[in-house]
Amino acid sequence: MNMSLFAAASIGTGIMMIVAAVAALIVKKLISAIIIVGFVSLSASLLFLLMDAPDVAITEASIGAAISTVIFLWGRGKIGGEQ
Amino acid sequence: MIRTIVGLAIVLVLAAILITVVDDYTVPSALSGVGELYTQTGVEDTGSVNLVTAVVVAYRGLDTLGEVVVLFSASTAVVLILTLIPIGANPTPPSSIVAFTAGILPGAIILFGIYIITHGHLSPGGGFPGGAVVASAFLLVMLGSNTIPDKSKFLSSIESLAGLTFGLLGFWGMFTLGQFLNNLVIPAGSPGRIISAGIIPLISLAIGAKVASELSGIFSSYRKAGGEE
Repeated sequence: MNMSLFAAASIGTGIMMIVAAVAALIVKKLISAIIIVGFVSLSASLLFLLMDAPDVAITEASIGAAISTVIFLWGRGKIGGEQ
Repeated sequence: MIRTIVGLAIVLVLAAILITVVDDYTVPSALSGVGELYTQTGVEDTGSVNLVTAVVVAYRGLDTLGEVVVLFSASTAVVLILTLIPIGANPTPPSSIVAFTAGILPGAIILFGIYIITHGHLSPGGGFPGGAVVASAFLLVMLGSNTIPDKSKFLSSIESLAGLTFGLLGFWGMFTLGQFLNNLVIPAGSPGRIISAGIIPLISLAIGAKVASELSGIFSSYRKAGGEE
């Protein structure tokens, strides 16, 4: 991959993650925050893929983006919806 | 409001630390020390084309065994705490979209997970990522239906069997070649073939089964535990 394209993609993904992480703190609804945290994990997995670590990317995508998001959603249901 | 400010402050402090670290970072031009040794002799030593798996399962196999033990104790503790909570009401039934997707996708996801596990010594992946992918397929099944039968006994026997397999493979190397977890108790074979790399594929299978059954067990006990509803 072209070096500058690689750098641009990495920095773009990083900025996207920072914006999403701040948004997860600010949003009012708990369910939106959970989905945004899942999006941060998915971006992290994309970043690992860009840095030539596909095995870490697979783990991050399945555990960080899928499993922990669903666990948080179930937990939200168990504590009784919105806070 | 205070919570938001504290959270933002923590994020900003962490960002400041990270920026100072990134400033000092230079990309190393050559591998150093043990990394150079691994890349030079890794394929001959272990027969594994994927050097990451060679390091994780063969060179640092004992660390991986420790990691498996940590995961085992963590999941045991979680399930123990969750079983103390009384069983809650049935969760709300899934929407038709989720139920339909959960009827189609899990087979393909499990197949992909098994591919990742069995090709751990050839392509990126191995026991941990593959096991996590298989577990996420089971999670999707649980999302799609409220009437999943309780298989926790079956899951924990698979888990114990997989952990036992890992340990026994280690002792096999100790008794035949005088080294715990020695990779070459089975001949390494020709690198790049599916049956090669000594006991790495077997250990990958054990780790994959263990991770998948452990995570699925956590999901099912978490799903059952009650809440305030």
